[in-house]
Amino acid sequence: MSDLFTFWLENLPTMIDGLIVSLEVTGVALAVGIPLGLLLALGVQSRTLAVRWATMAVVEIGRGAPALIMLQFFYFGLPQAGVSLTSFSAAAFALAWTTSAYTSEIIRAGLEAVPYGQKEAAAAVGFTHTDALRYIIVPQGLRVAAPALLGFSILMLQATSLCFAIALPELLSQAYMIGTNTFQYLPILILAGILYALICIPATIAVSLLERSLSRHTA
Amino acid sequence: MANENGRPKVVERDEIVRALNVGKSFGTHKVLDGINLTVRSGEVLAIIGPSGSGKSTLLRCLNQLEPQTEGSITLAGITIDARKAATKKQLTDLRRSAGMVFQSFNLFPHLSVLQNISLPQQRVLGRPKAEADIRSRALLERVGLASKADHYPVRCSGGQQQRIAIARALALDPKIMLFDEPTSALDPELGLEVLAVMKELADGGMTMVVVTHEMHFAETVSNRVMIMADGRVLEEGPSQSIMRDPQTERAQRFLQAVKNR
Amino acid sequence: MSAESLLVILSGIPWTLAITAGAFTMGAILGIPLCAMRVSRSWLLRSMAIVIVLILRSVPPIVWLFLLYFGIGSGFFQVGPMQASIVALGLITGANLSEIYRGALKSIHPGQWEASHALNMPRWSVFIDIMVPQLVRVILPSATSYIIGLLKDSAIASTVGVTEIAFQANFISRRHFQGLEVFAVAGLFYILISLPVAAVARYSDGVLRAKVAR
Repeated sequence: MSDLFTFWLENLPTMIDGLIVSLEVTGVALAVGIPLGLLLALGVQSRTLAVRWATMAVVEIGRGAPALIMLQFFYFGLPQAGVSLTSFSAAAFALAWTTSAYTSEIIRAGLEAVPYGQKEAAAAVGFTHTDALRYIIVPQGLRVAAPALLGFSILMLQATSLCFAIALPELLSQAYMIGTNTFQYLPILILAGILYALICIPATIAVSLLERSLSRHTA
Repeated sequence: MANENGRPKVVERDEIVRALNVGKSFGTHKVLDGINLTVRSGEVLAIIGPSGSGKSTLLRCLNQLEPQTEGSITLAGITIDARKAATKKQLTDLRRSAGMVFQSFNLFPHLSVLQNISLPQQRVLGRPKAEADIRSRALLERVGLASKADHYPVRCSGGQQQRIAIARALALDPKIMLFDEPTSALDPELGLEVLAVMKELADGGMTMVVVTHEMHFAETVSNRVMIMADGRVLEEGPSQSIMRDPQTERAQRFLQAVKNR
Repeated sequence: MSAESLLVILSGIPWTLAITAGAFTMGAILGIPLCAMRVSRSWLLRSMAIVIVLILRSVPPIVWLFLLYFGIGSGFFQVGPMQASIVALGLITGANLSEIYRGALKSIHPGQWEASHALNMPRWSVFIDIMVPQLVRVILPSATSYIIGLLKDSAIASTVGVTEIAFQANFISRRHFQGLEVFAVAGLFYILISLPVAAVARYSDGVLRAKVAR
């Protein structure tokens, strides 16, 4: 047993380095993807047919294609078109696309949950359509969508483990590398699992608490 | 009524609202049919009638929350005809002149009471924030809620929320106030505080159109009463005479039913 | 892209479908005891179910896969790539489906149980005749959209060498340096496969809804 802990302790710094990369990719994917998701959510409701079709295509591809394929498309595919990305930027682009597609659906549901009376009241006080969205509808819709967006963010951190396939030195890649060097696959993968769980379990509990307190306030 | 033949007349100076042959259909269902209506400056018009009579729809047509499908509506000099889609500018100008108070208040729940009143002034009238806040606080004072400025709407009672909604509409200096059953969602006791504010407004000379179930208000506060049923106007005239001595059988039946409750 | 390359990618489809079907079947079965534990009267069983579900969902699928394939498979006994993929995804599916089952149970109005008891119906009959049809109606839409998610998750099997769509795409792209088209086509295949599943979901949802129309 003490052998196991020594082994874990020895490799913990490398694993933490990997975890930091995982968190960085997650952060970039969310920071780019969620605002884009808001734009897509608004684009799907656009009155211009071309905008509606374009946003729908972006959303359907982002949701329909596996994240693993998206990652490989950006990392192995784009060089053929003369665009070479580092594994980090390929991961950021691919996961931001996926994020924007999924969050656009979450945000759209949030916007639709804003009572019709709010839109009417905004119109009645003379707000322009843009002002009504900016000050009344979007702030309330995002509030409704917040728990689901946080839940999605947890899934996104998990999805960064797919970046193993494009040689990004994130948590799983580091675990795998240590495994190949030491042949101690099981213990190091268990440590990887524990590190993911240490972040995801408290986060999941926090989100469900938030959800409960929000539903109490609106009821 | 002013214009039975339906031909447009020159709008008189003190007319705030004129509806000509207004009709509204949802699909094949006709909810308003041939409505003519004039409201002069300083007048308080109460619209009463059984539920489903189209009175709320008529009110919502006046500020184009529901565009009419027939006829034309002139409000504060802006004429909107059913045959031609209203421009954005027309809608903005029209709604700026008409303050609306909803049955369900429709305050913005994510904004404080003060912001609820100030934000429209800033965005719609372009008032600087400091100036808007001064005006908002003065209006809150007037509706007796100065202490609530920094609260959120959920922390206020229904009656308080409705008074805030009135202040929000007044802050834009409307030429006319439209009330859509402002006390229907309230307990009778809370309704009274809203009615008191409305009476004070009426006494101050505000032009008002009030869709209501409050017969006492219709009889004592408003100058004129209009009774609607099945999308048509049954009777219209000075409050006292309409409420005490209705001419048509349908109007008599309605008032009888309301009084016997 | 050559017809030959296209055929190679197409040859991955049966494997993709097999992983999806296998993992879903395993999860659908595993979800039942998990859900039963979660709603049981015993405090211990309930907490165990909560912990199991939370852990299964908090570790990424590909980490479960590696744990099974490289971790257990390299030490204690041989685990094939296909078995590892199905079991890894099946475990997570079990956790997620147990929550879907629980949501369905909660959605049934307590009056239904009370009415059945009041009519003195036998316990099994209450479950089979009254509850199951109502449960299926609630579960089916979420279960089918879960299958679509699972279909995409099955792509992780490529990392341990199952010759499914993503694996073949990777193989072709390395051999011919055609990543752009190859991965685009692979992504399109996943979307195309999920279309009929979504259609079945909508259709069955409509039929079941009509049957119990209020």
